[in-house]
Amino acid sequence: MKALFLGNVAADAAEGIRDELPPGLEVEIVADPQELLRSPQAAAASDILVSNHWRAEYPPMPQVKLVQSVATGIELFDLAALPPGVRVCNAFGHETAIAEYIVMVWLALHHRLIEISGEFRERASWRTSWVESGAPHGEVRGSTLGIVGYGRVGQEVARRAAPFGVRILAANRTARAAQAGVERIFPLTELDRMLPLCDTVALCTALGPETTGLIDARRLRLMKPTAFLINIARGQVIDEDAVYAALREGTIGGAALDVWWQYPNAAEPARRGSRHPFHELPNIIVTPHNSGWTTGMVRRRWDEIADNIGRCVRGESLINLVMTI
Amino acid sequence: MKVSFVGNFGGRPEVVESILGKVTERIEPTVLFDITDSQRLIPALAEAEIVVSHIWKKDFPEAPRLRLLQSPAAGLDLIDLPSLPRGVTVCNVDGHEQAIAEYVLMTMLALSHRLVDIVNGFRDRSSWAGGGAGGGPTHGEILGKTVGIVGYGRIGREVAKRAAAFGCTILAANRSPIADKGAASEIYKLEELDRMLPRCDVVVIAAALGAETRGLVDAGRLALMKPTALLINIGRALIADEKALYTALSDGKIGGAALDVWWRYPTSAEPNARPSNFPFHELPNVLMTPHCSSATDGARDGRLTGIAGNLDRFARGESLINVVMNT
Repeated sequence: MKALFLGNVAADAAEGIRDELPPGLEVEIVADPQELLRSPQAAAASDILVSNHWRAEYPPMPQVKLVQSVATGIELFDLAALPPGVRVCNAFGHETAIAEYIVMVWLALHHRLIEISGEFRERASWRTSWVESGAPHGEVRGSTLGIVGYGRVGQEVARRAAPFGVRILAANRTARAAQAGVERIFPLTELDRMLPLCDTVALCTALGPETTGLIDARRLRLMKPTAFLINIARGQVIDEDAVYAALREGTIGGAALDVWWQYPNAAEPARRGSRHPFHELPNIIVTPHNSGWTTGMVRRRWDEIADNIGRCVRGESLINLVMTI
Repeated sequence: MKVSFVGNFGGRPEVVESILGKVTERIEPTVLFDITDSQRLIPALAEAEIVVSHIWKKDFPEAPRLRLLQSPAAGLDLIDLPSLPRGVTVCNVDGHEQAIAEYVLMTMLALSHRLVDIVNGFRDRSSWAGGGAGGGPTHGEILGKTVGIVGYGRIGREVAKRAAAFGCTILAANRSPIADKGAASEIYKLEELDRMLPRCDVVVIAAALGAETRGLVDAGRLALMKPTALLINIGRALIADEKALYTALSDGKIGGAALDVWWRYPTSAEPNARPSNFPFHELPNVLMTPHCSSATDGARDGRLTGIAGNLDRFARGESLINVVMNT
């Protein structure tokens, strides 16, 4: 059997899991997808594709049995360009890392960490100090955290937030049982009833028809004027213009944004994540879509990918099966 | 009942005003912010039955009527206990342990995830490095890490409870024996600290400053830590050796630090005093804050409510809370 690792991320994975792969498996690494157009044999002879994307213009893969995504999302795969009967699997391992990120920024927004540590480092400002009895910052104890999207990430967030002495609410598209520490799970259609109760709203949903533009100007106005909004889902879950206006005008208290409405490309590698200058707002934590980008996450994903390749080679049932084409 | 509010914490007008707003019994307050003003310190101490202050110096004037010294702080390291008159009850405050535990988890996460670097790079230069979109270096996480807590008191236990929910293994070292381990899996005696340190990915100093802890984290003990280990100090700066810690951080002997307590503090002459004789602010692997981990709205309100409650209890002859000792 032969596995084709296509693209940079898959190429790194191939190096990382080389020792875990079944003996006898032939490994072909094509880090630059353009190379594949020049050597179609690599595609033609492979039984397994490991990649983060597939395009219609690539040479055909008549023998392929397993398409293993290196990410959770498979939206960059042109599934129509792959043969029928192929099983498509994805990879996880990011939920704990993202849950850590959410708790981190939830704390940092309340404690004003970026601002206080920045001014102390730069100009030795003690104005927020205990010894100066400066204006106190906030704490999360006693506050209400609303988790929108109670899936893998949302549940990991709830588990970590519970010992902080907070009230935890959640909203989910489908009915779910609440774990210990979660007071109530609203249907997503009743989100408007949850939002006014929350001191922090954390968006952990997938992007889909029900969640595109979910947080619009009207829902932002339902939130408390002191409330924080955290988004690790997808930029499009929030109305870009509305949230910029809400943050600038103080309709809500602040935000931590890890996902964006526009992304860098080869022509513009330092492209801003939005057409609005979010980076100039004082009440915001901005990160470049890396909430899950931890060493541990990469290792966990690689282990899942290696596991699935072994299963495919041995003819066993696969993990993380998304669909069969 | 005569109460003197003394020093740059207890005598701060907004602190006094807040406490007086919570007290229900009748008291006669005297307020003195500047303890070097001996003209006013002498009568303030001569008359007071209660002094609210986090500081008591050896050369303080006589306080013959003093029966309660109520500190607005948790640590009593600035109170020279032998100089207090006999028959005084010394109380401190609590209510800050949850706020400080939040700070410890926040900085443990922020150092591991390199939050400040990543935010600054993205905000200032729109750098997508280290992200799913730009690829590049990954950052760390705390899942599965071993957290060692030095000083397993109220703060330490609150830290342990929270860190356990992140899948961390919790170790603790404490001066006196611990009956209830809480969320910790192993408790070391403080004199066995050297056996605990090499196991830790994160070391949290949550001890009081005293004879056993002054200079505890010195060059030798820093060398026992993993080269990737993080040190978080919310206890007192003097528990760590200033020069040894700076050297360990600048030479990469340990991975990084979050420091909220300092060797130098601002004075009226130097309100923007750097917090150390060493340029910690130039080190990239240090997260530094101006002794504010407990300065949350909730903790401050809890402390001031506790002080007001003790003044009322004293006036009514009831037993006091947060009694540390009687002289």
